[in-house]
Amino acid sequence: MTPAGLMASVTPTRIPEVADARRMQQDRLTRIRGLMRAQGVDALVLLGNTNVVYATGAIWPLADSGRANFEQPVAVVLADDESPHLFSPVREDDRLRTELPLDHLHGPVYLDFDEGVEAFSTRLGGLVGSGAVIAMDEWTHALRREHSVLFVGGTPVDGGPMISRAKAVKTPDELALMRQGLRITERAISDVQAQLAPGVRQTDLTATFLRTIFESGADANILDPIWQVMPARIADGPWTTTGDLACPLSSTERQLVEGDVIWVDTGISFGGFHSDFGRTWVVGRDPDAAQRAQFERWRSIMDAVLDVTRAGATAADLTGAAIEAAGGVKPWMPHFYLGHGLGIDSAEMPYVGSDIGEAFDASLVLADGMVLVLEPIVWEDGAAGYRSEEVLLITEDGWEPMTDYPYDPF
Amino acid sequence: MEAEGIDVLVVGREGNARYVSGAPRLWTAGSHPFGPGCVLVRSSGAVHLLSTWDEGVPDEIPHENLYGISFNRMTFLKVLQNIEGADSVRTVATDALSPSSALMLPKAFPSADLVDAEPMLRRVRRVKTPDEVEAIRGSVAVAEQSLAAALRALAPGVTERQLTGVFMEAMSTRGVTTPTGQDVASITSREHPWHRTSRDEPVRDGDLVAFEAGVVLGGYAGELGRTSIVGDRPVDPSLSKQWSELWDRLLSACQAGASCASLLEAYDTAGVPTPPMPVARGLGLGFDLPLVTHALPGLAAEQHLEAGMVLALTGYVWKEGVGALFGQEPILVTHSGPEALSTVPYRS
Repeated sequence: MTPAGLMASVTPTRIPEVADARRMQQDRLTRIRGLMRAQGVDALVLLGNTNVVYATGAIWPLADSGRANFEQPVAVVLADDESPHLFSPVREDDRLRTELPLDHLHGPVYLDFDEGVEAFSTRLGGLVGSGAVIAMDEWTHALRREHSVLFVGGTPVDGGPMISRAKAVKTPDELALMRQGLRITERAISDVQAQLAPGVRQTDLTATFLRTIFESGADANILDPIWQVMPARIADGPWTTTGDLACPLSSTERQLVEGDVIWVDTGISFGGFHSDFGRTWVVGRDPDAAQRAQFERWRSIMDAVLDVTRAGATAADLTGAAIEAAGGVKPWMPHFYLGHGLGIDSAEMPYVGSDIGEAFDASLVLADGMVLVLEPIVWEDGAAGYRSEEVLLITEDGWEPMTDYPYDPF
Repeated sequence: MEAEGIDVLVVGREGNARYVSGAPRLWTAGSHPFGPGCVLVRSSGAVHLLSTWDEGVPDEIPHENLYGISFNRMTFLKVLQNIEGADSVRTVATDALSPSSALMLPKAFPSADLVDAEPMLRRVRRVKTPDEVEAIRGSVAVAEQSLAAALRALAPGVTERQLTGVFMEAMSTRGVTTPTGQDVASITSREHPWHRTSRDEPVRDGDLVAFEAGVVLGGYAGELGRTSIVGDRPVDPSLSKQWSELWDRLLSACQAGASCASLLEAYDTAGVPTPPMPVARGLGLGFDLPLVTHALPGLAAEQHLEAGMVLALTGYVWKEGVGALFGQEPILVTHSGPEALSTVPYRS
């Protein structure tokens, strides 16, 4: 029998079906402004796409990262105003302006050019008093040349960590949206898996995936979907800086052949949130005994980690359980992690088992309401390996599953 | 770099990293926080690239110049400190900055001034080589074929999102899985010149539906835009006439040597308000010049069209009660006038 997804053993109870967008945005602003006041910041200027999404609730289909920086919406959060300001290319878009008052919506700003910065700083100067303390998440050199509002007395306060902290714990409204995005992803993956067969190209799988996510309500795709054919041995794959696996590698028109071991990794954007999905498939035949044994080892590692996963546990508790279950080795790729947070970004805090180091893992405490993706791997050099991802909500008692996709064909 | 006195170039932006390294990278949507994605050292010509593996990396970049994905800022600091001459170079240029990189770069390059790399990068990227023009032409061809599939699916009842899905499927079936934008179809509003609705409303008979089709192939963006009416009926004649007048004026303004302000003037003389999106923007590896928008009149006046520039030229006319005609054409500026890079250029 095919093992069902995680929900076969645990039923989620904490994740509502419907989100209240207005309440969600009010909760976010309360958090952000609380952190601003604690640091004495009067205005927070945000350029990073996902930071703007978090602070304003604006939703737009994210563009190719090559052109993302010049069509970028910009957000300004004021400590003494419950609504943020949004400077955006298309002002009259219902999805952009959902919860913002009209006088907080402004036309596009081009912060790569001195002329654009001048127009922006004039607007900003009208919103904040002279001598205001400004925080920013990033800046252009044109912004750096502005000395009347922004770079008055040196470098602005680092605004990125404020958003990183504010967004780590999800509200019930946020969980409802995340669950919808994960469902859309699983629906599309189900169509893709039905198509998996020898002769099909990787790009054909992507064609099905992209069509289904948009038909099912996705706002955007966020990652060129990965359907990587894994080599039997690390040495058969590309050279790496770590000497370990090269993954994820971009998909091509490569035709799948019977017996290919496929590592899947995809994600979409819905309601401002990113989803994540990972499974291992075998093309055109049932997994053999060795592959099933890899899957069983993966399950035992995942179970060992899940046993210690709860609010109050440290990242080191999780990595320790994983290493012990894997017989003393780290069962994850060294350039990534055992697990990562998921939300407005496809990978965000908390990072579990990353190269930030063991001291960081020991100090990172999981909190109720965090969403964690666990992605251990089992690798058997000469016989490839198994990798899947599970998305969890961290609770006081332990965790709840956010997805329920089966492990088929294992 | 020599002319600008730049010793080391550190780029984080995707378009610049594509240009400097020549390496296609895993496509992701949206902006990335600034980080050292690619480093070019002037004295040796060495390129150091953020890539954990050598797949797709040009042979000119040796393994020892690759550095891997890291979540630890100290790792990147060490990478930069190990670059030849890091402790003595005088001028380091970056294309953007973040609070953490503003702290890290002076530690990595203690003797250097930190300067703006964008003016130089824009200058070298704005005029395309013949190979680059062919790359863009190839991207445009895929966008055009995929758009044709979406246009065939345009019928009463279909939603904007479904049309986007049809475009994405057709694009991927052609072997390209990376769009430039993901907002492919939009019903133009009859009540407001730029209004967008939920993307889930079904199109109705007589709607003017605008399409923005773009793909990234080999790093190069190819984009075009078209408007189609739902159902077998003619477009409002006065709107069509206004479109033709505007489009003729825009094309006439696309001459090598002309001021970019003439593209904004084309709207004025046609009696059409300029749209919120740029009237022209460069096509290439990402953010390329020229950039012509009513929001930056000074920049428009400073720039001149040059032979070899490739730009997405945008026309937009709207009539109350009818909707809008939107068109975008990938144009190569040549000494003998504008050359459309699509197979079936937009008619006027």
